[in-house]
Amino acid sequence: MELIKPDTYIDFMRYRLPVIGVSVSIALLSVGSLFWPGANLGLDFAGGTELEVAFTGDVSTTEVREALTNSGHPGADVVTVEGQANRYILRVRETSAITPELQETIGSRLRSALGDVEVLQYKVSPGGDKISLRLSGPADTQVIRGAIEGEGDNGVQVREVTRFGGTAEHRFEASLVGVGDAVFQDLQTAFADRAPESALRIEWVGPKAGEQLRDAAIQSLLYAIAFIMVYIAFRFDLRFAPGAVLAMLHDVMITVGIYVLVQKEMNLTTIAALLTILGYSINDTIVVFDRIRENLGRHKDKSLRELINISTSQVLSRTIMTSGTTLVSVVAFFIYGTSVIQDISFALFVGILVGTYSSIYIASPMTEWIDRRFFAKAA
Amino acid sequence: MDRGLYLRFATVVGIALLAVLQLLPTVDAWRLSQRVEGEPEPEPITPAIVSEWFTGRISPGLDIRGGLRLQYEVEVEEYIRDRRDTLSEQLVRKLGVLLEIYGENDADTATRAQLDAVAERVQVATLGDGLRATVTFTGSVPEAFDRDWLRDEGFGELRIVSTSGNVVMLEMREDNLDALRTTAVQQAQHTVEERINTLGIAETTVMARDMDIIVEVPGATEEQFERIRSIISRTARLEFKVLDDDDEAGFVAGLGANLPEGGGISMMMETSSAGEERPNVSVSYLYAPMRDGEESSTPAYQRLHDYVRTLDIPTGHELLLSEVGGPQDRIQNRGWRSYYVFSSANVTGEDVSDAGVAFDPTQGNAPYVSLRFNTRGADRFEELTGRNVKRRMAIVLDDKVFSAPVINQRIGGGNAQITLGGGMGGQEAIAEANDLVVVLKAGALPAPLRPSNEQLIGPTLGHDSVEKGAMGALIGIGLVLILMALYYQVAGLVADVMVVLNVLLLLALMAALGATLTLPGIAAIALTVGMAVDANVLITERIREELRLGKSPRSAVDQGFARAFSSVFDSQITTFIAGIVLFQFGTGPIKGFAVMLMIGIATSLFTGIFCSRVMLDWIVRGLKVERLRVG
Repeated sequence: MELIKPDTYIDFMRYRLPVIGVSVSIALLSVGSLFWPGANLGLDFAGGTELEVAFTGDVSTTEVREALTNSGHPGADVVTVEGQANRYILRVRETSAITPELQETIGSRLRSALGDVEVLQYKVSPGGDKISLRLSGPADTQVIRGAIEGEGDNGVQVREVTRFGGTAEHRFEASLVGVGDAVFQDLQTAFADRAPESALRIEWVGPKAGEQLRDAAIQSLLYAIAFIMVYIAFRFDLRFAPGAVLAMLHDVMITVGIYVLVQKEMNLTTIAALLTILGYSINDTIVVFDRIRENLGRHKDKSLRELINISTSQVLSRTIMTSGTTLVSVVAFFIYGTSVIQDISFALFVGILVGTYSSIYIASPMTEWIDRRFFAKAA
Repeated sequence: MDRGLYLRFATVVGIALLAVLQLLPTVDAWRLSQRVEGEPEPEPITPAIVSEWFTGRISPGLDIRGGLRLQYEVEVEEYIRDRRDTLSEQLVRKLGVLLEIYGENDADTATRAQLDAVAERVQVATLGDGLRATVTFTGSVPEAFDRDWLRDEGFGELRIVSTSGNVVMLEMREDNLDALRTTAVQQAQHTVEERINTLGIAETTVMARDMDIIVEVPGATEEQFERIRSIISRTARLEFKVLDDDDEAGFVAGLGANLPEGGGISMMMETSSAGEERPNVSVSYLYAPMRDGEESSTPAYQRLHDYVRTLDIPTGHELLLSEVGGPQDRIQNRGWRSYYVFSSANVTGEDVSDAGVAFDPTQGNAPYVSLRFNTRGADRFEELTGRNVKRRMAIVLDDKVFSAPVINQRIGGGNAQITLGGGMGGQEAIAEANDLVVVLKAGALPAPLRPSNEQLIGPTLGHDSVEKGAMGALIGIGLVLILMALYYQVAGLVADVMVVLNVLLLLALMAALGATLTLPGIAAIALTVGMAVDANVLITERIREELRLGKSPRSAVDQGFARAFSSVFDSQITTFIAGIVLFQFGTGPIKGFAVMLMIGIATSLFTGIFCSRVMLDWIVRGLKVERLRVG
């Protein structure tokens, strides 16, 4: 069986300008998408609301996940508590944000409601689910509640106000009705008689992967680029290095862009998928380059443009076979996987497609351009 | 068929066999984990001898298997109190400059005599649990002591609440407190992360939430959990404090008359040295013996600790406790004793740049922890030891004295060691020394952690997702194998064997390293499979080309490999470079991915270049086929 006849010659470079044009547009669109609509950051990056519930009847993880998806919380974490049947920890991405303006309003209402008692500390938790106060003197919890809820126009509802700390300290904490309570309500509707009686715990969770991870990722990307450029310059020729790196960046950028455009959730697993694409992209580009290098030695009379065409045509069979088999397994993952696994396969699918054509239409033309621009004149 | 081929063939088969053996314990562990409650335990398929030799296994990560979730509350108030105490101690030193007792440059190294002179003119006292401190001057309050002075001397965190007579009341500024709290939690999170990284437990996540630190450890054994718990909750505050054996007022000795009756606490005497002038003094200390059958050391410690808390200890001093006794000590029975020390600690764990376990041949190879100080620490340590020759110095970890050796001479060079307390057996002492090194290297926690919640949890993805995902992976690989066989025929079958062998080797190496399998890890495996396929595709395509040129199968295989080699090698090495970089700079999940990727590349190169060559050589040379069917 032969997909591509031997001695096939396709003039790939002839179409390079329109293809690059399309590709650059998509890449620009990808960069733009980061600003609007902006990445849909998952729990791992943005944090969220966590609640623990004990269902009164038998429920399965799948059922709970479906119920959460239906009530507008796709990508929620559903975690079973081991050793306790039907007890779950649920994490949704949303938090009960309180705008800075609202914070200020509540703050000034509190100060005026408390009169002589000074507000020493007023703090809204990052998840917007708690307001903690330290006052200079005693205060009535009902007054605090009233000031926080305002005349109903604050849009916040207080679940309870508790006083804690030593007798000399006047510390209060108001827990607010927020996303967690809404999720709890949704569960009640969805599960009726099997629903949990009350939420055992509702809390805000911070991001698992913060700036530290982001910085590490960016740093490693830059170093990887530098080292790969050095390797290529050493094993191949300096001319090849920029093309390979550009193709790599191009692939990651487009994958991220498409991911953002379809508003799939970015989390730690997505990062793993992007790294995979990075690996695939370099791998694919190097194979094409290797053939060009080999042909450079063999046909000294041909232009680089022709050599690229010859080489790409020669490895086309391999390209189709490798990308094809990889895509087939990614599709299988997509069909049989659920949520997170589907998201990975989606990213990989896009990445492999882009990674395959970028070796031909980004890496090679770039190399040819550099050759013409900087090396031809010298010769 | 030549000899060399036999040998290579045997190597490949041998390695494949080793890989299978290496994976057997993992298979058993997996079957055990799949057991439904009530069913009998499945018979292990691993022969005893194999499980003895191949101990490593792959453990599924938290997202796949579930595990332990620990929640700790950072005691930020403790951190703030500490900060207040540090500030007031610095304040005393700077006040010495203000009162012209010594110059600006001597503030940090003021001698005890100088500080005593300061104490005659001004006292700084912190108030209980509050955030306030009072500054009481013997005469009137110097005019220069005002808001601007505080700010200029680096006490911007303090504000003057009130001044009445010769007493000034200071308070920590509220807006700074929030920053302090945040810092405490961030530092705690970072330290816990560092400690866990040093332990080498892969894929553990550490999150912060308000004042809480949440640690998720993928399914591990109860012993591992225990070790993690003990290492996380250790504050690891290391301090070097000088003993006040020259205690002229006889504070400890004076307690003798008032010891609680029947409290199991007694007064003991020992001979020590209180500096070069008084090399032989009698020192009193409190001692609480461990009673027979006391399982842990807590009750004796608790008795002494509770008693010490009731005491009114002179300013600038502390009464610290240490475990003593056992075979290596002069005291035959085990128990806890007290040490009367100066409370200021000029050298702390922050000055330590490295730590390691070493063995002392003169003490029957007893393990000890060797420390290396940074430049600042080395200077301070030299100064501290130089100033206190022939005195005892307590090495204090988390308010417990580890050892209290006599300083024989000024110690320069920036090295020190911590001898472990008596009574510990060899293995126990080594484990203790190792744990100590872990916590010292990662640095001290800014504040103690209080465990607040602990749960064993199920997989994040749920069993259903994991099973479906595994199904998807199997079907995916299956389809690839079929496609390859159809398209490349004989060479495709060879490639199929290589893909299977590659996955086998990858898993075996993971098991040998005791790696954790998580979703990112599975992504890396998928990439590896793709790359293994690619290596074989490249080679097969080359062989095809050679065959088309009319070469014999034998020379087509030779040429095909020779030509494909650089492609296969370069493409894998560049990816490997990316792996190294990711490993170097990545944390947690990225690091895990990088390790898997690099192992995968190593196995792909081995199967792609070596194993498939052996197999094809066997077909063209051993079987001597007339025509090699490569599609």
